[in-house]
Amino acid sequence: MSSLDRALLVAARDLFAERAQPDGLAAALTFTGMVILLESLAFGPGRAREADVASGVFWIAVLFAAVLISARSFDRDLEDDAIDAVIAMPGGRDALYAGKVVALGVILLIVAAAAGLFSIFLLDLQIALPAHLLLVALAGIIALPPVIVTTSVIALRVRARFAVVPILSFPMLVPQLVAATQGAAAALTGDGPAALAWAGLLASFTLVYGVLGLTIVPAAIE
Amino acid sequence: MPPSASLHDATVVLDDRPVLRNVSVEIGPGLTLLRGPNGAGKTTVLRAIAGLVPLARGSRAVSAPPLFIGHRSMLLRGLSARANLSFFASFRGTSAADVDEALRRWGLSELADRPVERLSAGQRRRAALARLDIEQQPVVLLDEPFADLDRTGILLVRDAIVSAVVRGQAVVLVTHAREELDRDATQRLMIDAGEVRAI
Repeated sequence: MSSLDRALLVAARDLFAERAQPDGLAAALTFTGMVILLESLAFGPGRAREADVASGVFWIAVLFAAVLISARSFDRDLEDDAIDAVIAMPGGRDALYAGKVVALGVILLIVAAAAGLFSIFLLDLQIALPAHLLLVALAGIIALPPVIVTTSVIALRVRARFAVVPILSFPMLVPQLVAATQGAAAALTGDGPAALAWAGLLASFTLVYGVLGLTIVPAAIE
Repeated sequence: MPPSASLHDATVVLDDRPVLRNVSVEIGPGLTLLRGPNGAGKTTVLRAIAGLVPLARGSRAVSAPPLFIGHRSMLLRGLSARANLSFFASFRGTSAADVDEALRRWGLSELADRPVERLSAGQRRRAALARLDIEQQPVVLLDEPFADLDRTGILLVRDAIVSAVVRGQAVVLVTHAREELDRDATQRLMIDAGEVRAI
């Protein structure tokens, strides 16, 4: 069995567990929906529809949702020491990291799709370049899990991990947040080259943090 | 013949407290019993062999990745016993077809598709121990496997241990109870205050 197969097995296991107990998904959907709704009220109908405001709020909501989903996923694994069963198996540490990244990415896709559609309808957003927006959204979503899973693993046995994970991961995610916000705003306003450039930057971040995570995490898991 | 698993001069420090001090053990095929009072470090010895705790000093060696079944079930909540066991079988690259037979043998056929959090403690323990049938690794580490089990369950564990020993597996068993197992043991170890000695 290859490393990729093992990672996909862990991802499938996580996704089936989330389907059976969708606490993380439900919390993330509720949270993102509330943030977008409150944003439209706080900024007022005029400002809330501005491309950079709408995309900034969307990405902040998705970022917090990613932390919520990841926390629930690791909680489930810590109950009854299920995580130890994976770590103790050959190739288990790598598979745990990569599998969690994939599973978090898939769940985030669902959350982002729902939150994106909600934003578009609630704020009546005009999208100049839908394909570019889709590309930036995809690049932004896959850029988050490598960092969040890495910090979740580092803080795994820390009692205050709900505070530690955002404290560790958010500073590292500022460049991704800026790139995703600027890229989405560019796609909304019709600046295609800028949107593609930001999407490329997000892909680079994913690659760098993905490799970094695969290097650090197997040694960091206890 | 090299040992199936060993710790050499191993020291484990958890929460700034040494839990194991310069422990050296060699585990060969057969049954190794590890006994000791509460908090003596029995579980830590198993976790050290399984590679689940970092060694502050010393080294560990295993002939192949061991099967470690802890005193908690190590099954993922939200999934059924069948889904959990199929995951382990697939991960090890063994046939998932053996899962149904293992569940039947451990008396869980009727409960195979129920989420593990809705099983009783004893049923969860049986589901965890069914891994003994599916993942026949050269080294098996069992932490208090008799806990929560009824008489039938205890007999099933004893049968599974005997079968593993007959197959040539090295089984390390941590337990407070079951003195009758002393007769079958190849090696008996006692741990106290983080130090291990043969008895």
